[in-house]
Amino acid sequence: MVVRGLQAVSKAQNGVGAFVLQCKRLEFNYCEMSGSSRGMKAFLKTRLATFAKENPGVEIVVSPRPKKHPIIRGSYINKREKVVCVRNLEVLQVLQKAELLRDASGDKIKKINKPVQSLNDSVRGIWSPYHAKGEDVYKV
Amino acid sequence: MRRASRSTWDSLAVPRRCVCGNPIRLNDLLSSSFSTSSSSSSSSSSPLSPSVSSSTASRSSSIPTFRPLSSAPSSKSRTSRPFSTTSSLAVIPTLLPTQSAKLAALHGRLNLPNGYPLTTLGRALIDPTAEPEHHLNNDGLSNLGNVLLGYYASEYLMVQYPRLPYEILKTAMDGYIGPKALSAVGTGWGVEAAFAPGQTVDPGLLQFNRVAPGTPLYKVQGGVGFNIPRKRNRMVPNFENNPSVDQQLAAETPEMKAAREAQRPGQDATTLQLAMASFVRAAIAGVYLHSGGLPSTKEFVYAHVLSRKLDIDKLFQFEQPTRELSRLCVREGFQQPIARLEKETGRYSRHAVFIVGVYSGEEKLGEGQGSSLPEAKIKAAISALKGWYLYSPVSGADLPSKTDGNPGLSYTPAVIDVGDIVS
Repeated sequence: MVVRGLQAVSKAQNGVGAFVLQCKRLEFNYCEMSGSSRGMKAFLKTRLATFAKENPGVEIVVSPRPKKHPIIRGSYINKREKVVCVRNLEVLQVLQKAELLRDASGDKIKKINKPVQSLNDSVRGIWSPYHAKGEDVYKV
Repeated sequence: MRRASRSTWDSLAVPRRCVCGNPIRLNDLLSSSFSTSSSSSSSSSSPLSPSVSSSTASRSSSIPTFRPLSSAPSSKSRTSRPFSTTSSLAVIPTLLPTQSAKLAALHGRLNLPNGYPLTTLGRALIDPTAEPEHHLNNDGLSNLGNVLLGYYASEYLMVQYPRLPYEILKTAMDGYIGPKALSAVGTGWGVEAAFAPGQTVDPGLLQFNRVAPGTPLYKVQGGVGFNIPRKRNRMVPNFENNPSVDQQLAAETPEMKAAREAQRPGQDATTLQLAMASFVRAAIAGVYLHSGGLPSTKEFVYAHVLSRKLDIDKLFQFEQPTRELSRLCVREGFQQPIARLEKETGRYSRHAVFIVGVYSGEEKLGEGQGSSLPEAKIKAAISALKGWYLYSPVSGADLPSKTDGNPGLSYTPAVIDVGDIVS
């Protein structure tokens, strides 16, 4: 006549309590020679320092990628990566792409049909025909 | 790190190439006598590749950049790692914790205050298995963090659920602050582990000595696993086809055995899960030491550990719930519980449903649904017992830690229950 404990591990609910930004690293790649990197290089010179200061939780890496189009590569806590090609984009467009990657969760894009996703049980409970009274019994 | 164990294994047998092209072995990485030939590999400093660690640069103004003891490199290997830069040889430059973009990003991601130095966070990432020197690893910090976590988790559970049986309390504590849960917290913070500890490792990576492949998990300190030898008549049957640990050890080749023994099993190696958990404990101890003591630690622990989801009502496993309920009623002076059939349908069909309520006099204690009468009765007793055990005071008693920062505050003590039901 003992109660035994069943092992369980608590589940994360990011944002309940602390919020941890899911993007942990942004890598900016550019080419010194090609024209498609013009906006990217201007972004690196003028905007990147401010961007990094505004986002202290993101590791910023800049490295050349010769003879290729410029890209931004985001690495996420769920061990996935997202890559965006920013060829021929202007400075502000590159900034938009960087912000897009920063705000992403890293998950695959998926369609969400339900308005609420929750780990909690329904507060109202599930309708049961054995507990309904009167006419409600037949309303399934 | 998905295939870390496999690649660790590879590196033991096959020489790998350093970043600069020189073939190296794992043992070279581990020893401090790294040759000077690889000095050219400081690749990040070439003009074409300015590896901007700008998050470091932006924060370094507010963070004190002192370096704890880069004292004389003593005879013991790896003593001065990872902080030594004073070596006169042109070895691969080791990054200071204040220069690591990864570490600064982790600091920023956790929203740690500026008073929390990067050096402490860097030290929290060094496991005792990677660095035996006590003042350089996270051993002390981790112990302190463990005490703080135990304090906050236990008071939270005891005040929230004053009637929780001791076994369930232990399990719930384990679910919140056990190694598995804390390791999940650390992974959720985006902490990555280094391939192997060494001087060249970025200070923002978790450093620990991995358990060699083939080591039985029960030999790892504090570790549990599927290949623990099980006794007979336990919950999980010992299948005949399940190879025992002894058979696994007998099947290993001489090379595997040599590699396993070379990696100093036991205390000197640990698993990623245990190392990650001890990092999280150490990081919490750092909050206590550097940013305002107990109140801010409490806030941090609630934000990151206790705000996670754990269903306490799913931790119970009863042996004889009907009997236990009967003993409870005797102890509390209630009338003896009686199970009554409330509704039923399809008794002689394939899918019968019975709803049974368990009553003490006029009071309904619990209700259960089952496909047979005994099942419904047992479920009703379980529901009644859970209703008793999971009682939570509505008005909300105060936690003992409420007065930690301010002893003058008014304090409502929690309910103290008489304890478990014993027959």
